[in-house]
Amino acid sequence: MKRKQFISSILPAAALLQPSAAWAAPAYSDEEWAITKPLYLKKGDIIGITCPAGFITLEDIQPAITKLKEWGFEIKIGSTVGKKDFTFGGTDEERLKDFQQMLDDKTVKAIMCARGGYGAVRIIDALDFKKFTAQPKWIIGFSDATVIHSHLIKNFGIASIHSKMCNSFPKDWSKAEPVQIETIESIQKCLTGEKMLYKVVPNDKNKTGIAEGILTGGNLKTIETLAGSKSDINTDGKILFVEDTGEYLYSIDRMFWNLKRTGKLNKLKALIIGGFKIKPAEDPAEEFGKNLYEIVLEKVKEFNYPVCFDFPVGHQKDNFALKCGIKHRLSVQLNECTLKEMR
Amino acid sequence: MIKIPPYLKKGATIGITCPAGYMAKEKAATCITILQQWGYQVMVGKTLGSNSNNYFSATDEDRRDELQAMLDDENINTILCGRGGYGVGRIIDALDFTKFKKKPKWIIGFSDITVLHSHIYSNLKIATLHAPMAAAFNDEGFKNEFIQSLQKALAGKKAKYTCAAHAFNKTGTATGELVGGNLSLLAHLTGTASDISTKNKILFIEDIGEYIYSIDRMLYQLKRSGKLKHLAGLIIGGFTDMKDTERPFGKTVQEVLAAIVAEYNYPVCFDFPVSHGKENYALKVGCKYALTVTKKLVRLSEV
Repeated sequence: MKRKQFISSILPAAALLQPSAAWAAPAYSDEEWAITKPLYLKKGDIIGITCPAGFITLEDIQPAITKLKEWGFEIKIGSTVGKKDFTFGGTDEERLKDFQQMLDDKTVKAIMCARGGYGAVRIIDALDFKKFTAQPKWIIGFSDATVIHSHLIKNFGIASIHSKMCNSFPKDWSKAEPVQIETIESIQKCLTGEKMLYKVVPNDKNKTGIAEGILTGGNLKTIETLAGSKSDINTDGKILFVEDTGEYLYSIDRMFWNLKRTGKLNKLKALIIGGFKIKPAEDPAEEFGKNLYEIVLEKVKEFNYPVCFDFPVGHQKDNFALKCGIKHRLSVQLNECTLKEMR
Repeated sequence: MIKIPPYLKKGATIGITCPAGYMAKEKAATCITILQQWGYQVMVGKTLGSNSNNYFSATDEDRRDELQAMLDDENINTILCGRGGYGVGRIIDALDFTKFKKKPKWIIGFSDITVLHSHIYSNLKIATLHAPMAAAFNDEGFKNEFIQSLQKALAGKKAKYTCAAHAFNKTGTATGELVGGNLSLLAHLTGTASDISTKNKILFIEDIGEYIYSIDRMLYQLKRSGKLKHLAGLIIGGFTDMKDTERPFGKTVQEVLAAIVAEYNYPVCFDFPVSHGKENYALKVGCKYALTVTKKLVRLSEV
């Protein structure tokens, strides 16, 4: 038994609900007690909007503000919104300060990253999670925000929401496609504690089966670049989901090798493959010769766990909000495929 | 202790194989001729100029089998990778190094071949050669000092390289085993069985065709996985054909590199001739080198 688990086992249950920063970096197993679920939001609760990575204008987050207010929430606009330091939403110091403020402000009940891009990894080690771990709140985002999801589950065992961000809210709701409306509304469902259920169109490349485990994952490239760092996720006993965009097939192949060779595919309960927008080879003579399905399936051929392709998560309209760190049940059948949150 | 494979005598055999991307045979013709002129025999594997119709020189099995055969064949004294590209990572765990460990030989290459350098250094403690590959001999390339540095390295001459000072250099001296290679591959190998320990080592890095933000992210990975903190010294090679995003990153790649090591006191040199360009000295991964960075010049000598 690891020391951490031993300490946990002699503490009263109540103490387990509030892991502190002093407990840093335990390798959480899939035991449910290890995960802390932030409080769900009620009407009137405040959602903070901040830019830990790329920059965005105040105008561009208006559609999100309008919708979040319609849902009954108040908005706190972070100081980085509208700030611009080249590609970033402010300098490292400015983004750090804004994010820290959102973490520490007790009146802020959830933090939505305005957009991804690149930059969270430049500030993550300087963030102080003490107050946040004492009173966790939902952190919302995807893509570059995978750094935050991974860091939270690895170091503090705190759940977070992998979903669209402010820049994905349609400007004109009346002209929005049904899938846009549905995916944006899934954020509200996640935030207010609705038990989530996702239906996926079965793909004949899927590997069937049923699995239960804590959901973890995000952007594949980001997961690869976190390997070996203190934000590197432990996937043992978990359901892993990955997605990516704008990568060459050879690069996607190399990233799946990274997952495999860092042991992240060995002890999974299940693997979920979201959207992969593939960059075509510049020289047609250099065709990679394997498609995404082949790339994935050859990495998991020795494993028996279910594999679900085409899951609606990724850099696409079809990108539903998912709760990282929460136990789910994945059922992959020939004619029906579902992911269900467990309580 | 690092094991140094035997240097080559006249008449020794160099095997050429393509463990990653496809290479047409004519692109290696000059290289073969020159190696023969150097007094070596050349054995060309089937993966060079194969009938592959995709990215790779051959299937995983065929690339693995050929590299394996060259590792095991006692009549082959050195293995030169025809080119890099992508593919060693797909076969590395299927290679059997038992015979190679007993009878080490030089393995030559760079770029994707960083996987072999790192894997062999970490797991077998055998020196390898980070050096130009077959195509670099073309267009009179064989006459330049970089190809000549490969010739000298194979013959067992101790290298002594100098290069010009760079405004961002951090002065100092360092001695340590040399490790490194292509930054993308070093980042990608982090956490795997081929990952290297960089403590007290002189690390060298180079890359090509990456976005500046991506270089920044990879450097953060090295930093956050503890690879930059306890270095003896850092050699920054060429970062060629760098790309920037539509919204500019706001820093040059040199500024990105300088910023990541600002907090450390070890010597750092920029623009060292190790790169995907012509400037690419042969470096013995695993061997001990002394690095001197002064305001006027940079010297790297094999100890």
